[in-house]
Amino acid sequence: MKKKIPKLLMKSLNTEPEFNEESNVEDIEIKKQDISPDIEKNLETFKKIFTVPDNADVKLREFTIQQLNRKAFLLYISTMADLQNIMAGIEGPLIDSEHPGSKIKDIVSYPIEKTSTNIGDITEFIAAGVTALFVDGDPDCYLFETTKIRGRSIEKSENEVIVKGAKEAFNEKVIDNIALIRKKIKNENLIVKTQTISKRSRNTVFLVYQKDLVNEELLQNVKERLKSFETDSTIDLSILEQYLEERPRSLFPTIVYTERPDRACAFIEEGHIILLMENSPSCLILPATFWAMFHSPEDHYLRAPYGNFIRILRFLALFVACFTSPIYLAITNFHVGMIPPDLLMAIAGTRERVPFPSIIEVLMMELAFELIREAGLRVPSPIGPTIGIVGALILGQAAVQANIISPIVIIVIALSGLSSFIIIDISMNFAIRIARFLFIFTAGFIGIYGVTALFIGGLFYLVSLKSFGTSYFAPMTPHSFSSKDLLIRHIPVKERFRPGYLKPRDMVKQRKG
Amino acid sequence: MKQQSAKIGVREYVSIAVLMVGTKATEDTPANLYSQVQNAAWMIPLLSAGFFFIPLYLLIKTMSLYEGKDLFSVIKKILGKYLGFMVCLVIFIINSFAVSFDTRTYTNIIRSFYFTTTPTLIIYAILMFICAYGAKKGLQHIGSVSYLIVFYAVVSLYVALWLGTKHANINSMFPLWGPGAFVLVKEGAQKVTIFADFFLLTMVLPYLKSNKAFKKGTWFSYIYICIQISMSILIFVCMFDESLGGTAYPFHTLIRYISLGHYIPNVEIIFFIIWIMAAFIRFTAFLYINALMFGNLFKIKDFEYLIPSLATIYLMVGFIPEAPINVSLQFKPIIWSTAGPMFAGISILLWLVALIRGEFKHAKNKNIM
Repeated sequence: MKKKIPKLLMKSLNTEPEFNEESNVEDIEIKKQDISPDIEKNLETFKKIFTVPDNADVKLREFTIQQLNRKAFLLYISTMADLQNIMAGIEGPLIDSEHPGSKIKDIVSYPIEKTSTNIGDITEFIAAGVTALFVDGDPDCYLFETTKIRGRSIEKSENEVIVKGAKEAFNEKVIDNIALIRKKIKNENLIVKTQTISKRSRNTVFLVYQKDLVNEELLQNVKERLKSFETDSTIDLSILEQYLEERPRSLFPTIVYTERPDRACAFIEEGHIILLMENSPSCLILPATFWAMFHSPEDHYLRAPYGNFIRILRFLALFVACFTSPIYLAITNFHVGMIPPDLLMAIAGTRERVPFPSIIEVLMMELAFELIREAGLRVPSPIGPTIGIVGALILGQAAVQANIISPIVIIVIALSGLSSFIIIDISMNFAIRIARFLFIFTAGFIGIYGVTALFIGGLFYLVSLKSFGTSYFAPMTPHSFSSKDLLIRHIPVKERFRPGYLKPRDMVKQRKG
Repeated sequence: MKQQSAKIGVREYVSIAVLMVGTKATEDTPANLYSQVQNAAWMIPLLSAGFFFIPLYLLIKTMSLYEGKDLFSVIKKILGKYLGFMVCLVIFIINSFAVSFDTRTYTNIIRSFYFTTTPTLIIYAILMFICAYGAKKGLQHIGSVSYLIVFYAVVSLYVALWLGTKHANINSMFPLWGPGAFVLVKEGAQKVTIFADFFLLTMVLPYLKSNKAFKKGTWFSYIYICIQISMSILIFVCMFDESLGGTAYPFHTLIRYISLGHYIPNVEIIFFIIWIMAAFIRFTAFLYINALMFGNLFKIKDFEYLIPSLATIYLMVGFIPEAPINVSLQFKPIIWSTAGPMFAGISILLWLVALIRGEFKHAKNKNIM
């Protein structure tokens, strides 16, 4: 009731114009029909659908099948199909085969994928790179799986760099991606399920999970969510991510986006669900917790002490990235007593000739750092090193000499900027960087009290976040059974359980003895 | 997706209790106790815990008759509709004033020690805003946040106390009995208010995983907190001696006093951060419990929506006293001397009525069947 009234109000204020689809009503009607046995009619229909003489890469080849003495035509998209195979396996034998035979199946050497009669279906197949063969007098159309899509080969992971462990990364071909996962999990229980999620461009999502591990309720939940949105096209996994998330406006991510197959496999083995899509060099892992974003695969590849060392370092970096500039601001503005007198003198001395209040100074420098960072990402690699020079010399040295920034601010910003690179997950990285600005504002407003208030408020917000029913800080709190791989990880022998918050069908990952 | 409210576990419950009651050692309680019984103040928490143990035990025993019911439902069930309502209303009102004056006390601490030039209203409003926001998120999330920070809060308290012992003189705790054993017992009985929060925590029983978890959590935190408060007061006594009576907020004086070596003279901000986090949790839990009570009294199902308005009312009530001194000398003593004994009385009353009405026998028979 209490939510209804504002909703009604919003509706009356915010009217959306309604548009009816009018572009291809005729085509939609045609696609519902079946093909006719008369080849001339089919030829006409498909020429119209694919706009044949104008559409350069759609190849239509008419010929006569010698043995049957019937007219036929092949239709395929040359950029999507394997031309050599079509020549050798389909076209060649059809035109001049010496074997006596009466069926198409006996003539061509290419395995027939299937036959179809519906025009809409055939169109869909052809668009995906399948070759269609129409024969005069035949009520069926023969479809040959000739798809060959070009793409990048499997390369090194570039955004999630690690020193020890597998280097290969996902690429844009989903077949390769699935193969990479299959290569690591050789188990018949690994299921790859497809689901079409958009109407017009017919994008398919591949759900990958272990049948005997994944929680049925979670799986159902994910499937329903995938079905729930009606959209014409979802071209990339990162857009799908935003459709899937419960709070797309939130600062903090609730789905892990990774390009590393080894990471994906580790999560599948724990009972998570992986989503893959054609054209996306990555995968989505759900549900995800704070810890999934915070950990790096390297933590597990290194020996326990080393792995824990970098984890603690990362935890420290998280705080440094978030809080150095706010704390600097708060202490120099509100709690000067905390600074040892000598240091205070030094700070005051350097700040003497700077005309701005320190919050402006910090904000300017933070902004400059973010600019350098974004520019560094987009800059063409031959002039990459220039960015370093610009950043260090012009913004650092010169700003200090021009008395715009005091040297200590440079130290503070450099420290917090450097620390922010340690968080490997790109979304989490953004969350931390933006949160830092919020903290800076509160620190400028009311010092450490404001920072702490925002921190506690933020914690309340974070613990209330849910990713497909999983709390953000699970299994730490609310507590559930797990192998306690949170801040500190144990040696692999001790990690015997899957995380309890997933309610996997098999909790124990490693039995004793 | 609808988010169902999950139940909280023992860990979260204990964390809430520790942060809620444990912070008492860091406000004006020690000074208050010192002014009554001088250097034996550290014994009062132990004595009070002993005195309050019996009512609390009886209350929990009575509560266990009604599996999964909260305090107010039990009161209404045992004392009848009208009398029960009156008792509940009184508890709610006392608790409301307690929240108002406690939040004001904390605002005073923040203002007088750390933000001397900031208007009280701004500090107060931020405190109430964050608490209302947290309380609206629900008990499970309060529990989660307290679990995340309780470790740091407790450790930082001990570090502060340990650093404080360097300036302490153990002789200050003598004469051991202070003004005499009789006065101690009398004061100890009156100051059971320190543990009155445990009485209120029985409100959240239905939100716990099981009655057993509740019992375990309550006793564990009860014993831990009485030791913690008593130990902190002992260190304050040893540190400040006579002057403790005049030191309104000894914990904050202590953290100003201590230093990390010679080079970092003022470390109070570090402890302040963690202390204020604990304070936020304390009042968030308080606000939530009050909203729960209010919802229960007037049969409002979605009581979470009341929290912002309740917080505003508490802010306005807490803003009435003009000066900090008024809060600690005029308003708080009323609550101090009434709340604890009264809650203890209600607990015993409930048990007695239940006993007379034969509820215990009834429950026993049911179990046998």
